[in-house]
Amino acid sequence: MRAARTYTLALVCLGLGLSLVGCSVVEQGVNVLNQTGQISDKDKDTLLKTGEALRSTFADIKEEEEYYIGRAVAALILSKYSVYNNDSLTQYVNIVGNSLALYSNRPEIYAGYHFLILDTEELNALAAPGGMIFITKGLLRRCKDEDTLALVLSHEIGHVCAKHGLQAIKKSRLLDVFKILGSEAAQRFAPAQLSQLTAIFENVLADIVGQLIERGYDRKYEYEADKLAVTFGAKTAYDPDGITRFLQTMVGDTSSAAGKGWFRTHPTPEQRIDKLKAEIAGLSSVPKLENVRTLRFKQYFSSLR
Amino acid sequence: MERPMKKSNRYVSLVLLMWALVVVLVVFAADTVVVKIQTTQLRKSPQFFSQAVVALKAGDRLTRVSEENGWIQVKTAAGIVGWIHSSAVEIPKFNLLAMDKDMKTQTKASEVALAGKGFNKQVEESYRAKHGEVSFIWVDKMIAIKVLPVQIEDFLKKGKLGEFRGAK
Repeated sequence: MRAARTYTLALVCLGLGLSLVGCSVVEQGVNVLNQTGQISDKDKDTLLKTGEALRSTFADIKEEEEYYIGRAVAALILSKYSVYNNDSLTQYVNIVGNSLALYSNRPEIYAGYHFLILDTEELNALAAPGGMIFITKGLLRRCKDEDTLALVLSHEIGHVCAKHGLQAIKKSRLLDVFKILGSEAAQRFAPAQLSQLTAIFENVLADIVGQLIERGYDRKYEYEADKLAVTFGAKTAYDPDGITRFLQTMVGDTSSAAGKGWFRTHPTPEQRIDKLKAEIAGLSSVPKLENVRTLRFKQYFSSLR
Repeated sequence: MERPMKKSNRYVSLVLLMWALVVVLVVFAADTVVVKIQTTQLRKSPQFFSQAVVALKAGDRLTRVSEENGWIQVKTAAGIVGWIHSSAVEIPKFNLLAMDKDMKTQTKASEVALAGKGFNKQVEESYRAKHGEVSFIWVDKMIAIKVLPVQIEDFLKKGKLGEFRGAK
């Protein structure tokens, strides 16, 4: 009993120790001990398992895991929408998006930021975890200059940076995953484990896709993404009012395109504009529209059918 | 004949091991950062358009030298010094002593495999085998879209954006 209590206490202390460092660093520390002969391979596995078991929230999801979750979320989004196949416009959207990402608080992401246009008149934009971002043709039509497009993309980059998609995952699922990972340190999953993990993976995807497409994010996340859009946009020197110009096109819009997707789930355009105006007023300097950008935007957008 | 270790002794040794791990983590890993993204570049100066010094990949370990505006100056095991953005690496939350000088940048295969545990390629393959109706073709095409730093730099320059704002 006493030994068990000591063991539990040691685990708590270890937890505190591990909470001060990241996952890779834990693996590295364990390997240092193993390589110097201070612990056996078996003990190394035990310690690694303990490290896995101590992961508990969305913030503990590794970059690579976020990427694989994002890929499957993207695949599910693409099973609902067709891709608008226009190479030059897609490349332009990718350059604008990647330029903004450099001035975000997460410029480096596991496999980079990637953007696709969805072939629908619905007004929508979706950000899968891991930096895979979708914007509909209908939404693109509402953008009249590069700065407006940039600010809309910046809002989606904001969702990725703040990991809003991952926050949709129910905590119980994460605990189940971390428990399974904590039970085995083998390099490849055994069939039973893989089947359990795959079942949890399906539920994780349902949590995220349900939030993204059906229920929509909580308002606080939308406002946070708006705030980040202004910050990243202004840092890139885009006119942050691009987002309010876009939202103005939505005021009083009762069309079926506006009733679906983004705007079914977001706060009203008026509510967002009010908050955005206050945010922009708080900037130390507000970048302005530049004609050279609007001209190139019009050139690329002339191919939008 | 060696006596099997008593259960209580095993607990005690585990306790010691765990403490040893915490100490090693704090002391050895304090000034180490580990690359957490698939691939990136070590750059000559702390900006994205600076010359690339050496290519890095997930799991590579680097020794932290200094920091500046979200960029970390690091040294590779080969002694190459350069800058990496803080979002590309996992950083210990505090900093006590210098890192082991003999640390190897080359990560062992087993470490990479362990780092890749969790939702990984194997789980995606298993999911895809179960859900033939979900296509990943466009996901792969999307990931293959490349925007080179030189293209972004040119785009920013021509659009008077970023560090080129206000340029004539």
